[in-house]
Amino acid sequence: MNFIRTPQSTLSLPATPLKLANKLTLIHQHIPGCGVAAVDVWVKAGSIREIDQWSGMAHFLEHMIFKGTDRILPGQFDYAIEGRGGMTNAATSYDYAHYFMTLAAQDLVDTLPYLAELLLHAAIPDEEFVREREVVFEEIYQTYDSPDCLAFQALIEGVYQRHPYGRPILGTEELLKERSPAEMRSFHRAHYQPENMTVVLVGDLDQDEAIALVERSFRDFPSPGDCPQHEAEAEPPMTDIRRQELRLPRLEQARLMMAWMGPGIDPLVQEKRDDVLPWNRFSPEHHLDPIKDACGLDLLSATLAEGRTSRLVQELREERQLVQEVSSGFSLQQESSLFTITAWLDAENLERVEALICDRFSHLITARINESELERSKRLLCSDHAFSTETPSQIAGLYGYYHTLADLETAIAYPQWIQEFTTEDLQNLASQYLSPYRYAAVVVKPL
Amino acid sequence: MRCVSGSSRAKDFLTVTSTIALPQNRTIHRRILNNGITVLVIENPSADIIAARLFLKAGTRWESREKAGLSNLLSAVLTKGTERLSSLDIAERVESIGASLGTDAASDYFLLSLKTVSSDFADMLSLAAELMRSPTFPEAEVGLEQRLTLQAIRSQQEQPFTVAFDRLRQAMYGQHPYALSGLGTEETVSQLTRQDLQEYYETHFRPDNLVISIAGRITPDEAVALVEESFGDWSAGSKQRPILNFPAIAGQLNGTSPTEHRVTTPQETQQSIVMLGYLAPSLQAHGTMTDYAALKLLNTYLGNGLSSRLFVELREKRGLAYEVSAFYPTRLNTSHFVTYMGTAPVNTAIALDGLKTEIERLRTTPLTSEELQTAKNKLLGQYALGKQTNSQLAQIFGWYETLELGVEFDTRFQEEVAAVTAETAQSAALRCFETAYISLLGPAQLISE
Repeated sequence: MNFIRTPQSTLSLPATPLKLANKLTLIHQHIPGCGVAAVDVWVKAGSIREIDQWSGMAHFLEHMIFKGTDRILPGQFDYAIEGRGGMTNAATSYDYAHYFMTLAAQDLVDTLPYLAELLLHAAIPDEEFVREREVVFEEIYQTYDSPDCLAFQALIEGVYQRHPYGRPILGTEELLKERSPAEMRSFHRAHYQPENMTVVLVGDLDQDEAIALVERSFRDFPSPGDCPQHEAEAEPPMTDIRRQELRLPRLEQARLMMAWMGPGIDPLVQEKRDDVLPWNRFSPEHHLDPIKDACGLDLLSATLAEGRTSRLVQELREERQLVQEVSSGFSLQQESSLFTITAWLDAENLERVEALICDRFSHLITARINESELERSKRLLCSDHAFSTETPSQIAGLYGYYHTLADLETAIAYPQWIQEFTTEDLQNLASQYLSPYRYAAVVVKPL
Repeated sequence: MRCVSGSSRAKDFLTVTSTIALPQNRTIHRRILNNGITVLVIENPSADIIAARLFLKAGTRWESREKAGLSNLLSAVLTKGTERLSSLDIAERVESIGASLGTDAASDYFLLSLKTVSSDFADMLSLAAELMRSPTFPEAEVGLEQRLTLQAIRSQQEQPFTVAFDRLRQAMYGQHPYALSGLGTEETVSQLTRQDLQEYYETHFRPDNLVISIAGRITPDEAVALVEESFGDWSAGSKQRPILNFPAIAGQLNGTSPTEHRVTTPQETQQSIVMLGYLAPSLQAHGTMTDYAALKLLNTYLGNGLSSRLFVELREKRGLAYEVSAFYPTRLNTSHFVTYMGTAPVNTAIALDGLKTEIERLRTTPLTSEELQTAKNKLLGQYALGKQTNSQLAQIFGWYETLELGVEFDTRFQEEVAAVTAETAQSAALRCFETAYISLLGPAQLISE
């Protein structure tokens, strides 16, 4: 790719990233007159921070954060936010956990200190730990009744054989029963530290007020203490097709899921195998900018299966009528991203559809896509970006996500970078990442 | 940290002093064109986006039982061919500019929605007009979407919540169209024909049945001129709109004494689904407004958010569920007030008792003034937060207009909620929570008794 990222100075940055004295990052955007403020606190404390035996800890901790501190009772925070007409919730993924709330701007001064108190000083009371664990078990049982969840878990286990990306975020009942509140406290103290945390504040609050409020709220972090750290293990590279078959009860329709490993923002430790691996054959300049690669893979994903005129939807759903639905997705991750294709179809068409998809991937490598296809995909992604930045909470989420995984600039410059891709760039990316001979596949069939 | 331990500070913290005040004074421009189209425009220059919602007074409520699924099938085929454009042409027109255009057949309305960056709006509105005015329902596309719908109906059986809710709805509504999911059934959908679509289309797709609601960076005059341009010469014709005649709903409201109907679905799932529901007031009938607002408030109190009564009592204190909630949708005919949860099979009976206890409590115990005020703040605050994006604005006002409540219902609703008292809430609970409908799904030995 023969372009460089647009330097920040030429962008109008609507948001200001600030590093506070204690190394906490604050991203602020003032939207005067909207009446609302959204806060989204992103913590680099997702499930990849867990050692294997602690699988599920990061997510369980996210539940326990709301169980209060020495000064806040369980549930008291939720009541305060919702009783003011606001909303709050949280979510945990592989690379992060984040905690968000939206409420009237004038209520922020009274409530943000309490969110900070929860995040910094979670008490994780013993009896609440045992009780909330039952809730997490219920969350796990719910996924066991979902064929798509079960298939996706099998798929990522196929892709990542050693890396924590292959483990379920929720963990398992068996492992969680072995954990103690003291272990969770040590995980919390170790990871909920200012250098791992980004507070995004978007809405009807000016910058001076925002800085003062965040500085006042997020201070006195506890000392990190000791916590077992996950040691990266070399991931065996994908050298062929890793195939699994699941048989599930009450299944009305088969599934085909396929996955390829994409670039990580921080490169994954790979086993050295110099013989045939395509990524080793590529010259180093292709690895310089994983974020650019990620933008290109978003374009390829849209070209393949976003909308009725995309290649796979048009051919497999509309023309050959072999699938109920087909979709593709690219998810950007810290250490290794994931490119997936999913089809819902009759079991009798599984092999044929997989072969067709592989054949169409070969085409992406041997021939450039049409200019009109590229243009269409660019417009789709840029519109999606515009459509997802209408409200303070959407904006806060977008900034926090990109800042946590990459940088704030990506959240803002994304539409411009998308515009710079050529059909040749996409061809190169397809040949680098989307091999029809090296991927993980899961098929799900009725019992 | 300024917060200090001790109850006094904690109490201050809990004293609710304000609720969300978004710009409430949005002007909604309303114009009725000569051919009967109602145009609503909400000018909102904050983002370079325009959203439009085109509502028809149609939807699954207008289907006969034998043709269940007709509105949904029509919504799937509407975008797949016009007199001038093929399915692919239409998709290209939309996707090549990165717009979004979709259709939906809801219970009480039929919807075409679109969203574009402002400069593309005129193009997309004219495409929408072409879809509404000259669809051809190509035979091959009808066949494809019909097969896909049949598969979708079968696929719904994979989802325990959907199955349990289907059974509940059928028990509640009997022969009424609300008894079925919008997709229809395998029996009815397999019998639908292109001719059925054509007749449904001719009955409902007419300008005097259409509300076009537009929100975004556009002035009212520009918006109305664009609608005039694409839809102005569409004439209603001389046919009368049909009058609906509904089958009675089995257990109508205000039954004589509290009774219970129970349906069970044995499945070897990892989690049981437990649902407890009641028929609940519509918005159409006169005199139900007070109960409607009170039950919206009680629904919020019970099921909305992390501090709701069901969440706190059954999840936080007892760890019985991950998902526990309640819903009470706004409907033109008799609606439903449903509480539900997913729980480990062994807890099925305890979970049902828990839901019953909470419903019974609303009948016997008035809300405290703090509970009442908190529920109001929550309901009104979230209502305000639900009117931020252009799509949300176009949707809510267009919907009120389509239900013939008028855009002023936005204000009226908030006033009615503010006016709910502990007494009106309790008397609504006493009227509504009489005949219970229960749906249980899970391992056979745990759901039978």
